[in-house]
Amino acid sequence: MSPDAITTTEFKLLRDYIEEHCGICLGEGKAYLIETRLAGLMVENGCPDYGSFYRLAKNAGTPQLRDKIIDAMTTNETLWFRDTHPFTTLAEKLLPPLTDEILRGGRFRIRIWSAACSTGQEPYSLAMVIHEYCRTHPGILPSHFEILATDISPSALFLAKAGRYDENAMRRGLPDEMRARYFHSDGSVWKVNEELKNLITYKKFNLQEPMDPLGRFDIIFCRYVTIYFAEDFKKKIFDGMARALAPSGHLVVSAVESLRGIADQFLPLTYSGGLYYQCDLANPGGYR
Amino acid sequence: MKILSVDDSATMRKIIGRAVSMLGYDLLEAANGVDALATLKQNFRDVCLVIMDINMPEMDGIQALVAIKADPDLQHLPVMMVTTDSDRGRMIQAVQAGAANYVTKPFSHDDLVTKIAATLGADEF
Repeated sequence: MSPDAITTTEFKLLRDYIEEHCGICLGEGKAYLIETRLAGLMVENGCPDYGSFYRLAKNAGTPQLRDKIIDAMTTNETLWFRDTHPFTTLAEKLLPPLTDEILRGGRFRIRIWSAACSTGQEPYSLAMVIHEYCRTHPGILPSHFEILATDISPSALFLAKAGRYDENAMRRGLPDEMRARYFHSDGSVWKVNEELKNLITYKKFNLQEPMDPLGRFDIIFCRYVTIYFAEDFKKKIFDGMARALAPSGHLVVSAVESLRGIADQFLPLTYSGGLYYQCDLANPGGYR
Repeated sequence: MKILSVDDSATMRKIIGRAVSMLGYDLLEAANGVDALATLKQNFRDVCLVIMDINMPEMDGIQALVAIKADPDLQHLPVMMVTTDSDRGRMIQAVQAGAANYVTKPFSHDDLVTKIAATLGADEF
């Protein structure tokens, strides 16, 4: 038995609930997303319609129910080396000055945050770039790097940490030489090699939370995340990331996400046909 | 670690076994609730999840779930129920009896993998 279609009022109530708990801002015409992703949870919880499901979640729901709603609304597809140029920028522009500091004895470690790691393709792509970089830069070791990979979705994190991908997932942007070097097959499944896994720590994190406990980062990748968020929440996230970055640290977002007018403490820079940002808290007036 | 698939259909156990293997776990199998409880008693230290059909002969999924949740050795195990749309009332019963999650037939391989990940991920993260 399928549940009845969601009404306009029910959509608005659940839309606001979802935005409150994970920041995702569903525009008009996105009622189908709630229907396709939450119908099962609604039935499972014995609710005859979306209105009573909202009231259960809002007034009597457990943290587990809230997490299941967030998980259902936030799981998205991803690619290896998505857009290519951010990874070229990392290897050719962002890492060299940091690793020079290591060679000069001025630092011990480079910390990178993959802020919405989904099922792991982004942090593993970062780890592959790092290993490739170490192969061509004597004195720089993988142990000089630390990647923190966070996501709000426990299912995405579980799959990311497992590091096991089927052939369909492997075909999505992974060059053959990277597959040969950093993966091994286990029947029909491809497993990420331990050398990549060892660089990454996975943690559940809601971008609405304070970022201070995560520590300081030299580079943050936060891509295809804020496109779903309202402007004031985007500003809160980028302000938080500005504080989480080391002085002159870098932020990489996607081509469809702009910081202009939202977080002007970031200086836009271009390399390899793509945009990235450098944080300069000493310039609160921004780079308009 | 192992995941126990409880279903009277060998075909369903095979389908679930593919998802279990995809995630790197070994599969244990039982054809009904009685078999499931016996298997769990012998293997509970190695099992991290039970995936159980609601409709089975001898002892159905709800009865087996209640027995698992009443057993001090087994009650910590997350149990994911396999249901159909027509099981709506029994699915609610299962959630009230302590089911951690559910998957509704018909489901795709990817749906099942994601549901297992959500169930185990909720404990880990």
